[in-house]
Amino acid sequence: MIQRLLPFFTLLALFVILSIASPNFLTSTNLSSVVRQTAVINIMALGMTVIIIAGGIDLSVGSILALAGLLGAMTMEKYGIGWGMAAGMLVGMLCGFANGLMITSLRISPFIVTLGTMGIYRGFALIISKGLPVHEIPPSFSYLGEGTLLGVPFVLWILLLCAAATHTMLEHTRHGRYAFAIGSNPDAAFYAGVPVKFHTTLVYAGAGLLTGLSGMIEVSRLMTGQPTGGQGYELTAIAAVVIGGGSLRGGEGSVLGTLVGAFIMGLLANGSDLLGTNPYWQQVIIGAVIILAVAFDELRKRRIKD
Amino acid sequence: MLLQLKDIQKRFGGVSALRHGNLDVQAGEVHLLMGENGAGKSTLMKIVAGMLEPDGGDVLWQGRNVYFRNPAEAAEHGIAMVHQESLLAPHLSVAENIFLGREPRRPLGWVDRREMLERAARIIEQHRFPLKPEWKVEKLSPAGKQMVEICRAIQQGSSLLIFDEPTSSLSETETQEVFRIVRTLRERNVGVIYITHRLEELRVIGDRVTVLRDGETVHSGPLNEITTDQLIRHMVGREITAIYTRSALPPGEEVLRVEHLTREPALKDISFSLRAGEIVGMAGLIGAGRTELCRALFGVDAIDGGKIHVRGKAIRIKSPRDAVAAGLALIPEDRQRTGLATALPISHNVTMANLASVSRLGFLNHAAEKQMADDFTQRLRIRASSGRQLAGRLSGGNQQKVAIAKWLVSGARVFLFDEPTRGIDVGANIEVFQMMDDLARRGAAILMVSSEMGELLQVADRILVMRQGRISGELPGGTTQEEIMRCAAFEISAVTTEEHPE
Repeated sequence: MIQRLLPFFTLLALFVILSIASPNFLTSTNLSSVVRQTAVINIMALGMTVIIIAGGIDLSVGSILALAGLLGAMTMEKYGIGWGMAAGMLVGMLCGFANGLMITSLRISPFIVTLGTMGIYRGFALIISKGLPVHEIPPSFSYLGEGTLLGVPFVLWILLLCAAATHTMLEHTRHGRYAFAIGSNPDAAFYAGVPVKFHTTLVYAGAGLLTGLSGMIEVSRLMTGQPTGGQGYELTAIAAVVIGGGSLRGGEGSVLGTLVGAFIMGLLANGSDLLGTNPYWQQVIIGAVIILAVAFDELRKRRIKD
Repeated sequence: MLLQLKDIQKRFGGVSALRHGNLDVQAGEVHLLMGENGAGKSTLMKIVAGMLEPDGGDVLWQGRNVYFRNPAEAAEHGIAMVHQESLLAPHLSVAENIFLGREPRRPLGWVDRREMLERAARIIEQHRFPLKPEWKVEKLSPAGKQMVEICRAIQQGSSLLIFDEPTSSLSETETQEVFRIVRTLRERNVGVIYITHRLEELRVIGDRVTVLRDGETVHSGPLNEITTDQLIRHMVGREITAIYTRSALPPGEEVLRVEHLTREPALKDISFSLRAGEIVGMAGLIGAGRTELCRALFGVDAIDGGKIHVRGKAIRIKSPRDAVAAGLALIPEDRQRTGLATALPISHNVTMANLASVSRLGFLNHAAEKQMADDFTQRLRIRASSGRQLAGRLSGGNQQKVAIAKWLVSGARVFLFDEPTRGIDVGANIEVFQMMDDLARRGAAILMVSSEMGELLQVADRILVMRQGRISGELPGGTTQEEIMRCAAFEISAVTTEEHPE
């Protein structure tokens, strides 16, 4: 049980250490910026959590983030904030839906399909924008990523809302249960009459929707739509899920774990900024944390199973 | 004395799997190891084969105290295990698997392929295995794969071979083949430990027997000094008073009618019907098409032609989902792979086929689900701490009960049981039969596929026999094994499942 809580303790320890080590850490400005920086990855990682629970993976979310953000920003230029937001999220959902459809109908592994669409979606973003960022964003749109509501960053509310919705979906709906069943043993789920293809596709579409939302938050934070944005985000999102106890073998993972995982990485980045560590070392530290987290988790599971 | 185990202990977490595991094996004997599921047989054997480390007790190998940290160390001493579920590399050839990890080398470390093929061919020939060194292992039947494992053990010069339920997935002919091989091994002075649940094969193959119960050795001695009834009593630890009896029922209305069902090449023009309250047995050799029939009826495989009627209505079944909606249930042969999500709790497995019954508008009612799981755990006497226990951590018999419970929740009327007693022990067997009888009494129609003719004769009201994709006969419940065999016989070759491109 203690080992299951290891990610929580790690996060807590990091928090305490950084509070002591740096006088600038425990300030509302700094904490707000940590939240803002991690929100994009965090919301993406929620969708990734469901995918990983259902035994899949999505390498294309970084590209989806760019494509959705770009098209959202372009719509916003012409039709305003509301339509822009809707367009960005719709594009994200459609991209995820297409991933799911290909995985279930072509019977190709999710790794391969999304490796392919990672390139395809990125390519579309570059073709549509001719490689140039979109700048004409309505100034008030910055509220989404940079605004404050009731004293905390507005994105924190969005994140909490998304997390609560994802958690409820996973633990309290049939769709969520089927995600666990499919990830744990797709054959058994199929033999039990579970509509495996439908729910698998839905899982990817849901993750796409959340990624589209992250894309719009990224646009709001940068006030541009970048066709080259979000590169490498997919791996950070996967890392957050895995640090939080998700298993790439499927059937395991939780929203709370993923949140903790994403914040651990966020604090590590923030901490090394504050302490003036060589930024190149950040990558080494985060990489080591991923391996250690999974190693401890495997150790725990092996002890239970034997 | 080849091997002596003295008071072996092994704990997993808080659970004691072995407390006093005692066993001794001599060279040139076939030593049976028996016991119910969860008695500790597999744990004990894994310790001998170096796959687990004991927490206490002594392992004596040829009189010397030994300690194996991994299977390779056990293999070096001459101990090999033939696994129930094959541990071979499917994409490699027979020869490559036999020599895996100890390939003959040429200078510079190159693998000497020709030498390897020749030596594999020699082993195969010596023991008259129906194999070829260059065949791919993935194309072999379960029996063929076992033979490859046996070849590997012989190649390593093993002096002790452990067989873990070798015949549980084999046909009659293949079983005879395994017996022949075991006898040759005995003649060559190899010690054999043989785990089995099948009472009928005891005296055909065994010399001595050791019985484990709840992690303790409760009996050890020559087979000819003990009766089968006494053995069962040792295994179960109590008198089996509740021998299964089938309720006498007049069959009711027709529930399932199958007409001219065809799926090339496995199923050809199959017609039969099931009535409410009936248990119909399905006999046949491995590869006769019985499992394929269940899969086709249940919508796992598409059919080429034919009609299926459920309660007088013609229905089209294109997926298990359609089958479930029509009131069919399949308890598949391979529990671990298709019957259960072993990493999920019992409760999630029980409700998987009918989640709608514990949810509203897509939202789950956890209290109702827990209630339902607890009800079934109690009613079916599933031995578990609670409905939250993971299905994979139950014994075989209890896993089977969970797999069946899933369909009791779904309200199915037609039950297809594919080898329902495979890998479960005597006590659980009877409970499963009792469950089938209960279902029949409540108006369900049951088709029971089984390779054990004894249990078909015991349970079925009538018996259909399949041969090479056709129904080759229908026999009354009180028929004889000889009669079934006559309908089922003329098997061609059971070793390869597919044609081999030579």
